[in-house]
Amino acid sequence: MSAPVDAPARAPLGRPSSRTRPPLLAIFLYTLRSCIPPRRWAAVIAACAGTVLFGLLARATFRNEASGFANVASEGIFGLMMPIATLIIGDAVLGAEVRAGTFHFSWRSPVSTWQLVVGRWLGGSLVALVTIVPATALSALVAGVPDAAGPALAASAVGSVAYVAIFVAIGCISRRTAVWALAFVFLIERLLGTALTGIAQLSPTWESRAIFVGLVDFDVPDRLIREGIPQGTGAIVRLLVVSVVALVVATWRMGHLRLGGASD
Amino acid sequence: MTTAPTPRGELAPDDPAFAPEATVRVDDVSVWYGQKVALSELSCSFGPGVTGLLGPNGAGKTTLMRSMTGLVPVNQGSILVEGRNPRRDRRVHGRMALVPEDEAVPSGLTARQFVRYIADLHRVDTREAPDAALSTVGLLDVADRRVDGFSKGMRQRTKIAAALVIGPQVLVLDEPLNGADPVQRLHLIDLFKQLGRQGRTVIVSSHVLSEVERLAERVIVLIHGRLAAAGGHRAIRDAMDDRPRHVLVRSTGSRQLASALVVLEGVAGVTVDGPRDGLVVQTLHARQLAVELPRVARDRDVRLLEVRALDDSLESLFRELVR
Repeated sequence: MSAPVDAPARAPLGRPSSRTRPPLLAIFLYTLRSCIPPRRWAAVIAACAGTVLFGLLARATFRNEASGFANVASEGIFGLMMPIATLIIGDAVLGAEVRAGTFHFSWRSPVSTWQLVVGRWLGGSLVALVTIVPATALSALVAGVPDAAGPALAASAVGSVAYVAIFVAIGCISRRTAVWALAFVFLIERLLGTALTGIAQLSPTWESRAIFVGLVDFDVPDRLIREGIPQGTGAIVRLLVVSVVALVVATWRMGHLRLGGASD
Repeated sequence: MTTAPTPRGELAPDDPAFAPEATVRVDDVSVWYGQKVALSELSCSFGPGVTGLLGPNGAGKTTLMRSMTGLVPVNQGSILVEGRNPRRDRRVHGRMALVPEDEAVPSGLTARQFVRYIADLHRVDTREAPDAALSTVGLLDVADRRVDGFSKGMRQRTKIAAALVIGPQVLVLDEPLNGADPVQRLHLIDLFKQLGRQGRTVIVSSHVLSEVERLAERVIVLIHGRLAAAGGHRAIRDAMDDRPRHVLVRSTGSRQLASALVVLEGVAGVTVDGPRDGLVVQTLHARQLAVELPRVARDRDVRLLEVRALDDSLESLFRELVR
């Protein structure tokens, strides 16, 4: 062990050194390196595999492949696999770290809270964009509906990004991120969203469906078209607004976090 | 030494609970978790140099440290670090570092990546600072090994490096010597003392008095979330030594020994302890008894089989302090 030396000198506050990475980039890279452990990757990849299997199911079950994939994508992919995959990612990038007692290493820095939130969200979104999003497009190809791959890609990309933002916000509100995220998906979106259009308008599941339905150039079953919800690019805008609102809520809550240890 | 917290807003200049040039001021602070009160109307302050925060488990040391660093909000009162509220003003975190007691470290990162991440967040030059910090705690050789594979002591040192890399003016260390081997302990104690001599405010918690004695010039004792005592460690030690202590003495001649001990100065009473087959000596001067007992035994031709303090745990001493 070396002899004690002076504590390392630091750059004066407000005068960043040219050798530092911008904090937002540092948080983004940290999120990718540290927040998604192998077990989480395995769970996300399992959800991706499930997504591709839904494509096979559409091909095997329905005579009209396009219509069949539209049905399967709406119910199985946008309604089940995408929320599950993004829940695993969204919980990992913040909630799991808060519970593990390691988030304070990031929180206790002069970095503004919006950077902490956006850095995590960008990291989680990138993981979703390289996993569940291509899996959705692959599912369309496997189903034998290549024309649906583009719309599926767009719908799952926007939906995943919105979900990660919502789950990051939930992680800033409660330590039980997974429980509240499941309640959000299955009670609020699936149960209340089915009955109330007002809730469906703010739901990544329903809006992803609307993006997909609005962008495909083939006829989809009437039951997939929901009145009162914007479709196509209108739904994209709606979900982007939902994402921004979720990030604003997360930023506000981030400043009020109570960070106990792992044993608390 | 004090045993009573100063009322809110009244800072007595000669009160040992308050540092003359305070960088961290704790004013009438209470923190509770549901029904459990972790800190109760605590007032004290910390200034340049090393201050030991002493108390048994559950005394509120960790809660105080988490409150100081803004991780836990206070329910009542206020904490100011260099005049700023650590919950509201994020600039505080650029001047203050915490080494938590928790073993938890970010997974998947090497020691160098972890320390560099902290340096990046604090906008510290990352060319040399991370390696200098790791070298200070003796981890440069293993800087490219993953932190989550480290032993407890190595994790602790990695967290200390992550704290040092920002060059903090206020360094809060929660049981920093846990898991460290004797050589590392000496090294870390030297390091903390050196930081204190540089004019930084170093706050070190421990439940081991002897450890704090070696580290800190000034000690603050917490019990049940309240200020129990404050001052130099000698004053704390003397206060503890002057309390009645119970010592079990087992020997080959309890009766002869009892008659000799009872007349010694400082012995308040001697009782026969049947179940333990010995004597229980109540003394006001434990150190004196330790010197006298072998002489008395030799004079009476009695062989001592066992001498053991029955209430020598730190917690029992703390209890005496607040009685």
